[in-house]
Amino acid sequence: MEDELVMREVRAGDVGRLEVLFDRHSQALFRYFLYLTSNRSVSEDLVQEVFFRILKYRHTYQPESGFRAWMYQVGRNVYMDHIGRNKGEVALPPEATDIRSTEIPPDREFQRKQEAVLLRRALAAMPSEKREVLIMSRFQDLKYEEIAAVLKCEVGTVKVRVYRALRELADRFFALSGERAS
Amino acid sequence: MNCEKIREQIPECLGGRLDKAARERLVEHLETCAACRTEVAELNAVWRALESMKAADAEPAMKLRFMEVLEAYKAGAGQATGMPKASPRSGWFVPVHPVWQIALAASLLIGGVFLGRYESWPQPALPGYGAAPNIEVAQLKGEIEGLRQLVALSMLQQQSPSARLRGVSYSEAMAQPDQQVEQALLYAVDHDSNVNVRLSAVDALQKFAGNPDVIRAMVQAIRVQDSPLVQIALIDMLVQLNAKTETPALVKLSLDGQIDEVVRQRAVWAVQKLAGQKPTGQKPEASK
Repeated sequence: MEDELVMREVRAGDVGRLEVLFDRHSQALFRYFLYLTSNRSVSEDLVQEVFFRILKYRHTYQPESGFRAWMYQVGRNVYMDHIGRNKGEVALPPEATDIRSTEIPPDREFQRKQEAVLLRRALAAMPSEKREVLIMSRFQDLKYEEIAAVLKCEVGTVKVRVYRALRELADRFFALSGERAS
Repeated sequence: MNCEKIREQIPECLGGRLDKAARERLVEHLETCAACRTEVAELNAVWRALESMKAADAEPAMKLRFMEVLEAYKAGAGQATGMPKASPRSGWFVPVHPVWQIALAASLLIGGVFLGRYESWPQPALPGYGAAPNIEVAQLKGEIEGLRQLVALSMLQQQSPSARLRGVSYSEAMAQPDQQVEQALLYAVDHDSNVNVRLSAVDALQKFAGNPDVIRAMVQAIRVQDSPLVQIALIDMLVQLNAKTETPALVKLSLDGQIDEVVRQRAVWAVQKLAGQKPTGQKPEASK
């Protein structure tokens, strides 16, 4: 059953059905927060808070709207509240254990790991609104239409923002690694 | 098509989301534009490298926590609407439906307080689409607080210590101290079978320090504790709250031969600390 239909049931009062949506989306949402905060326990708490709010505000869900975009909109607000409460706290790059290295030959592993560290640093140094749009596009596999719904802007604006964010990340990454792509 | 428009399509192209016609236009442009070819090469390098940054999944415990909250919500909502439900730990704040109804009414009252207090919040935490006036946002924040209270109270009654611990955490997340929660935490300090829950409840009570009754209840709780750890945590909390009015009770405690020796030493340390003297005992951090 599609997310939107399940959410209709939740909205109608069958709150136990929220478990289905949690099973489908909690891990992706967790990773979204992990990219933003670099903190596992904070990310888990934020996921709980998102579903907590979905539970509470289920009556505000518009069935014609995509559930995933709505959920990320809630997630975005939860994150904004979180950073509002924790002003001054600087997110650190995630621990090595938070990053899952892909299957790669040993001789390239060191280089990949170095690359990953520099990328994490470059990403962490970016302004949060640019980091956010890049994470949604690159890691969360959200369509531009969904990102536009989350950010409440035009699809064309999302396109420009994703490009600029990726460009800035590239600049920061190459500055850190002291090289340019050839 | 100019270079700027072409470049804006690069991330879509790298993500495999560009439709065929647009992709062909992009390739055609790249054949004649060296600058855009460099741009694609650089962005492609970074896009591919991001693959190595795939984040790990959350622990299965995250689901367990969610299910506890969901069950607590269903139980709490059921009680709030008058559905009878047996409680494994009933009898302290009497969680039968009329009281839950009072709790719900209290939470709505808190919601009303929030209504006034958070009108000026800059970032609306509104989940749905479309803009809403600030007053609605404040109302929703109040409702969240009420739900948090409901879940905290329900979880504090659970049989599992870990669920009760999370109940304490929920109470800490409440922006506004609530009397029902205060009583539930004091009950946990006095009667919970698990030391960790009692210790967490002591920490959570810090939020209620403005109420002199809570301070007095904490002093009384020291005597009924069977765990020196919790007794010391309570004494430390009194020092942290600068509860000078409780100095006589602490002096009495330090002289009571029935009390554990370490706890009595701690009481002596606390009396010195509250009097502004240099304490001769160990530091608070060392006890935890």
